Amino acid sequence: MIQKLERKKMVITGDYAAAYGGMISGAEVVAAYPITPQTLIVEDFATFVNDGITDAEFIMVESEHSAMSACIAAQAAGARTFTATSSQGLALMHEMLFIAASLRLPIVMPVVNRTVAAPIGIWCEYNDSMPQRDTGWMQMSCEDNQEVLDMVIMSYKIAEHRDVLLPIMPCLDAFILSHTVEPVEAPSSDEVAQYLGKYEPVAKLDTENPMAIGTFAPPEYIQELRYHNHMAMENAKRVIREVTRDFARTFGHDYHGLIEEYRCDDADVVLITIGTVTGTAREVVDELRERGKKVGLVKLRFYRPFPREELQKIAERVGAIGVYDRAVSFGSGGPMFIETRHALYGHSIPIMNFLAGIGGRDVMKKDVEKMFEMLLEAKEGKTSKEIVWIGTRGVTP
Amino acid sequence: MYEIRFHGRGGQGGKMAAEAYALAAFLEGNYAVSFPFFGAERRGAPVKAFTRVDDKKIRIKTQVYEPDYVVVLDETLIETQDVLEGLKKDGTVIINTQRKPEEVRLSKPVKCATVDATGIALEVLGRPITNTAILGALARATGRVKIESVEQAIMEKFGARLGRESGEKNARAARMAYEQTLVGTSQGGKEFVPRPQWLPDVHEMPIGGAIGTMKTEAGLIGIGSFVENKTGDWRTFIPAIDKEKCIGCRFCWFYCPEGCISMVEGKAEVNYDYCKGCGICAHECPAKAIEMTREVKA
Ligand code: SF4
Ligand code: SF4
Repeated sequence: MIQKLERKKMVITGDYAAAYGGMISGAEVVAAYPITPQTLIVEDFATFVNDGITDAEFIMVESEHSAMSACIAAQAAGARTFTATSSQGLALMHEMLFIAASLRLPIVMPVVNRTVAAPIGIWCEYNDSMPQRDTGWMQMSCEDNQEVLDMVIMSYKIAEHRDVLLPIMPCLDAFILSHTVEPVEAPSSDEVAQYLGKYEPVAKLDTENPMAIGTFAPPEYIQELRYHNHMAMENAKRVIREVTRDFARTFGHDYHGLIEEYRCDDADVVLITIGTVTGTAREVVDELRERGKKVGLVKLRFYRPFPREELQKIAERVGAIGVYDRAVSFGSGGPMFIETRHALYGHSIPIMNFLAGIGGRDVMKKDVEKMFEMLLEAKEGKTSKEIVWIGTRGVTP
Repeated sequence: MYEIRFHGRGGQGGKMAAEAYALAAFLEGNYAVSFPFFGAERRGAPVKAFTRVDDKKIRIKTQVYEPDYVVVLDETLIETQDVLEGLKKDGTVIINTQRKPEEVRLSKPVKCATVDATGIALEVLGRPITNTAILGALARATGRVKIESVEQAIMEKFGARLGRESGEKNARAARMAYEQTLVGTSQGGKEFVPRPQWLPDVHEMPIGGAIGTMKTEAGLIGIGSFVENKTGDWRTFIPAIDKEKCIGCRFCWFYCPEGCISMVEGKAEVNYDYCKGCGICAHECPAKAIEMTREVKA
């Protein structure tokens, strides 16, 4: 139960937005371990509990591994849960992530994207969340703090949907969102309660009606369960499109499904971005448009499930596609680039990969301009570069 | 190429036997592979192991479905396992039993070799570990490897692990079995009824594999289904409790992995429907009130 909260505008950090989203969604059990730059989420939620704004059970644990274990157990017992982590903390959780997804527990966990050591860095890189690709979690990235709050609420709606039942990590960029304050509009507790409804588990641990979950299974059983998880992820695409449409009608903020197109209609080339770089890239698109360059932007929101169908439609109408990545799959390329090329198999247009902002290096407007410049060259056949490192000393883009 | 399937119980060393046979074949210049297939690893549970032998590199990685030879390390497995499944037309089954081949009843008459590997093991090793003795019988029945190679393989495999003396004893057990093996034809006519299995398709499979108590074509599954899983038929040795000697200390009750010992009027009592005959109770009993004896089933 939470106190009655009115609709209000606040000037808050991304971390506060994440914590507020979990609280107002009615998370009943929270287990988390602090790590920079997610620490504020844990502190803010603890404050909500301390101040009696929510009577959620706040479990102090000694590691992220235990945090996820506690959430798995609580969710399996029928509670709506919430946790958050970052970087090494997410890496430590890794083995439990598979269990949460395979047991089909719709846990919501904001992840503040921070570089994974070595060397030790606390700034933004996606080499923490993207390597969790195959654990079975849904994974998406936010552009601003409003999206963080809205997305945590929507996460419960998507994850708990009967055709999905998968855990989800809405991601936010370290510091660029986590520690940045900006105005955010929060819905009232009544509106959220009505929107989400009560969490009704399909199966739960109950002493009156005993249930075994996560037991030993020989090869005769596991393949069918893996098929289930794959189909649930495929179903999630439809559900995400429905939920964002529904959310827009109810709360007035439209996130357009798995991707958002920005000035793509008549674009010659488009750049696919993720996370906060999207905001900067919007500015660059506007400026280049003023200079008569027909460029467009695709904000990729979901990395899992991957918006294959949406990107295929865009590829039919443009002359070149660029993919921005803030992580590297060593020996292959950026994770989103790999996915995009796979999704666009059969399309003959140039597809380029731009690696920038690694380790939290600021991605500036001139960096994004460079990406568009190279894309326009690629469209004219003037370059055949594939993987381009932007702003790397001693490496020519 | 020829293929062998070993049927044993968890803890009996069927995997070691399959490996030692592969080594023996290798020592004679063949190419050989051997691998186990475990179910829920649990002492006493039915397990399988496989060996393939050829004169050139073996590439196939599947389990063996049409064996030339089947080795049964424990005759009680005949009741619950379809030991003849897929056996080639001229294939041979090698069984550890006190019976003669003609006294063994299977689903059909097949070439059969028998040896009392348990008796030999008890005599030579002082323990009912039959995996080396049975290799002697296998060498005899197949005629495909020399007993000397089997002895050498045992020395290398078991001697290295358990010491030279133990290696020699195991080699002797194999030699004795080789000499005592009887080869003949089994009886047929004992129909094997396979236990039905619960194999849900993607539509029937519960979400997340969460299972309450469920009645299926394979009987009860999930919570409480252990009641129907009568592990008593895994038993080759049976405990007998001498109530005069029992001091009621509950050690056996505490250590029994099947939880099938109860205390009745201060004395231990075994439920033989579930006792799998592991002997842990006898090992733990401070009053030496429990004796394990070899069980002979009809
Ligand atoms: S009663 Fe003894 S022999 Fe039987 S299962 Fe228990 S410990 Fe093993
Ligand atoms: S361990 Fe031996 S003495 Fe103790 S209760 Fe069991 S049978 Fe009796």
